[in-house]
Amino acid sequence: MTNQHPPSSTSPDHPVRLVRTFPRFSVSQRSEHAVFLLCIAILLLTGLPQKFNTSTWSQAIISSPARLNLFQQIHHITALVLSALVLYHLGKAIYLIARRKLPGDMLPTFQDVKDAWNMLLYLIFIKKQKPAFGKFNFEQKVTYWFLFFSVGIMIVSGFIMWFPDVVTRLLPGGVIPGAIMAHSTEAIVTTIFVILWHFYHVHLERLNLSIFSGWLNEEDMHSYHSLEYDQLIHKANTDQDPGEIKS
Amino acid sequence: MRSVSRHLFLYLIGVILIGSITVLHFATEANAATIEQTSQNNIQQQGLPNVTSAEPIVSNDTCLGCHGQPGLTMTLLNGEILGLYVNPDVYSASIHGKDGYACVQCHTNLGEYPHPLFTATNLRDATLRLTNLCDRCHSGEYNLTMDSVHYDKLAIGIKEAAVCTDCHGSHDVRQWIDPKTLEILPEARLSIPATCSKCHNAIYQKYRTSVHGAALTDEANSDVPTCIDCHGVHNIGNPTTAEFRLKSPELCAGCHTNPTLMDKYGISTNVLNTYVADFHGTTVTLFQKQSPDAQTNKPVCYDCHSVHDISRVDDPKTGIDMQQNLLVRCKVCHPDATSNFPSAWMSHYIPSPDHYSLVYYVNLFYKFFIPAVLGFMLAMVGLDVGHTAYVKTRRGKHHLQPTSTEVQPETELESSTLPPASAGSGDQPAQPENIEIKLARGEQSELNKPPEQSDQAENKEQPQKDDQSENPDEQVTRE
Repeated sequence: MTNQHPPSSTSPDHPVRLVRTFPRFSVSQRSEHAVFLLCIAILLLTGLPQKFNTSTWSQAIISSPARLNLFQQIHHITALVLSALVLYHLGKAIYLIARRKLPGDMLPTFQDVKDAWNMLLYLIFIKKQKPAFGKFNFEQKVTYWFLFFSVGIMIVSGFIMWFPDVVTRLLPGGVIPGAIMAHSTEAIVTTIFVILWHFYHVHLERLNLSIFSGWLNEEDMHSYHSLEYDQLIHKANTDQDPGEIKS
Repeated sequence: MRSVSRHLFLYLIGVILIGSITVLHFATEANAATIEQTSQNNIQQQGLPNVTSAEPIVSNDTCLGCHGQPGLTMTLLNGEILGLYVNPDVYSASIHGKDGYACVQCHTNLGEYPHPLFTATNLRDATLRLTNLCDRCHSGEYNLTMDSVHYDKLAIGIKEAAVCTDCHGSHDVRQWIDPKTLEILPEARLSIPATCSKCHNAIYQKYRTSVHGAALTDEANSDVPTCIDCHGVHNIGNPTTAEFRLKSPELCAGCHTNPTLMDKYGISTNVLNTYVADFHGTTVTLFQKQSPDAQTNKPVCYDCHSVHDISRVDDPKTGIDMQQNLLVRCKVCHPDATSNFPSAWMSHYIPSPDHYSLVYYVNLFYKFFIPAVLGFMLAMVGLDVGHTAYVKTRRGKHHLQPTSTEVQPETELESSTLPPASAGSGDQPAQPENIEIKLARGEQSELNKPPEQSDQAENKEQPQKDDQSENPDEQVTRE
């Protein structure tokens, strides 16, 4: 009951509607997303001009060695912040696994492949019913795991590029140009992915701000996460505890 | 007596008239001759300066009458002795001698004897004064030298800086340009480094042993660059500036991207694009375009290949094809570099399964991965957009009425089946622990209406969904 709107101010003149909201993301998850979003935005803004250095727009931005140096420094600092965030995220996951408390909602399952297939069939009008999703549908899992591995590649290749002389003590030199190639190309893939896939699903398909607010309203809960919704309602109905409602 | 003097007067007038007419006639003829000579001379110049018609051209034989005798000298103010002897054979072998130029066409002020006073403090001073004479015909080149590093040094008082005659000689000026192609004659190319070595001997000795210099000197190969191909001819710039450094890859690329020249020696012409594609070259190219005077430590060609003592890359002692030789260069900027480090630079290779296969396969992976990801996402998003659009238009056609009526039973349900929220928490349908209650006031509930409606409409599209029983739970409206 983190998000309460008590009807204290209701007056008989105004009809009041009771809207149930479902907590979806914890404060920690929301702040992780916010930091991640900021990092990715800064990294792309400072990284893409360096990749497309032959284009005029990029050359207008990186007009001098001093400017390039500034861009690289911002890029490096942000990369460190992002690395810290990833370490925090992984550390938390390991902690939860160790305590057998990791909610497995985000783990990919075979059901997701089936869901994606059924969704495809639904979208091409073969099936009349959308597949029912749990807390995270296959689209959200794709988003998470795609970015998980992209960021992994970006961080690893980025540090290889950053410290070539350290890396080549252990690995052959060809790793460096390989990392450069992977870093700059993966950045493009990530950009395309975020804009085309993630932005579409959270802005255009429906405006889903639950990652910022932390909660999802009942309509969205019902139509996009019906399995989780049913589960919650069912659970609530089975262990009825009237005292829990504090409204 | 009077008639005799009158006749003499008339006679004198006649002689003067006839004399002046003949003089004028010859003078114009001489002018025409010089203009012809100029047009024959292929060096693109303004016409030769008008040899003043009042003064007749003094023939070279007249000058050589004195200056053709060895040992003719004059003592300058500081006691140095300026030789005034001109070897007639040397002069007639020179390009000016061959083309029949007269001494006084350069030494315009020496047409009379006794010559005007020449006061040079020392020999160098004499050279600097006399070199101005070149400007009269070769002002194009002369002006170019004003932009040169030599002239800059001269201007700040370094008198040793080279002027025209230091490189070209004075009375022995050779033909260096092919009059037909206007290119430097191959045999002239061979003597260029030696010319520069008169002052820059230390650099010449390095060049002499380089892959270029050795080919020029030992094999008389005129394909290789001489000093002027990199440094320029008359407007020789300062090669120690940041600008020169950033521009230098273009200099090397001038020959090294020329397939007709490189194929003769089996040298790759991909050296520039592979350099530019790599991070060092990328940065240098960027700076060169955006801020050409920027200082950068990013390596240019000569940082690895050396400046004047460029050796073959497969030279066992110095060739940078050998990783340990290249490592020395790397360590200039990367002091912690170890033996694996040099291979981080792709050695002008284009990644292929044989060379830098990791880069090649990473690139190959993305060539398939990007279209695959893009295709999958575009397909899913596109289908989703299409589906939504179709559903919306269909609903618009068939269910304009039902959407409005559908609200009706719901409100009935809300008001009839559900107790008001104020009736007490105990009467409400049980809420799970993690479900929050949000009470919106009238205006907010109005705002929330449209999504509800669309949601319900969507639910109507899917009759299997058993949400009819759930729907009333979604809102509890009360007065």
